[in-house]
Amino acid sequence: MALKDVKPTRSELINTKKKIKLSQNGYKILKMKRDGLIMEFFKVLEEAKDSRGALLERYSRAQEMMAIANTIEGSIGVKAAAFSVRENPDITLKSKNIMGVVVPEIASTQVKKGIAERGYGVIGTTPIIDDTASAFEELVEAIIKSAEIETTMKRLLDEIESTKRRVNALEFKVIPELSEARDFIKMRLDEMEREELFRLKKIKARSTA
Amino acid sequence: MEIAVIGNSEFILGFRLAGITKTYAAESEEKVVESVNKVLEDNTVGILVLNSSDMAKIPVRLRTNLENSVHPTVITLGEEEGGLSMRERIKRSVGVDLWK
Repeated sequence: MALKDVKPTRSELINTKKKIKLSQNGYKILKMKRDGLIMEFFKVLEEAKDSRGALLERYSRAQEMMAIANTIEGSIGVKAAAFSVRENPDITLKSKNIMGVVVPEIASTQVKKGIAERGYGVIGTTPIIDDTASAFEELVEAIIKSAEIETTMKRLLDEIESTKRRVNALEFKVIPELSEARDFIKMRLDEMEREELFRLKKIKARSTA
Repeated sequence: MEIAVIGNSEFILGFRLAGITKTYAAESEEKVVESVNKVLEDNTVGILVLNSSDMAKIPVRLRTNLENSVHPTVITLGEEEGGLSMRERIKRSVGVDLWK
């Protein structure tokens, strides 16, 4: 709002004052929200670091095991074993609300299985298949864990960014501009009052003379 | 709810071994996008696992959708992350590099 658009009237002054009050309230609340979000973010940060590391480690291990299994069993053997696995890990996905940010909450059933539960013939395959399967089961466990944490992180970060932007816009743009307008109106009104007074005095002087 | 995996046949084979049945083989870019769309329509999928190199190939718009999606929750595997890495994101939104 440029100053030249401001009409120096009393009602405009009242309106501007109201707007300033509203913006300051909003600013306070948003600032609290930002601080709260950052606190939540710090809680998740440590976990996220650990989980990402563990995930990558397990992923590379699983890949390694897969390569070994492919070499020993041949890709057809691995595929045959893979396609006969029946047990399916089941997860439940709920959403949680952290200060208006919807984040997932994931719980899962047992992913790790015993050799007998896997569904392929134990006799027909080598132990390397079992190791590969358990490596991947561990990987899936890590995925389930970090899926929740990482998405929470991402969403929190996005929300922090937009809240910060809003806080800054209010602090450095909206509120200063409004107070400038208020000061301008006040000044103009005072000036007009003085002019009026002066005019009255002038008229009085002329009528007595 | 289930886990879904999209990737090349080598990538998904291991997950089949871990008992995940919703695995979609996708060798080409178009196939990846097609499978992703299919998974997004599937209400029974809770987590979608993608290879990060595949994630990088997905068009930006769909990728942003995936990154912000809660249902299903999307996670990428592999060294390089598609788009902004977590570290960059933290730097940008908090202003301090906390990822050490």
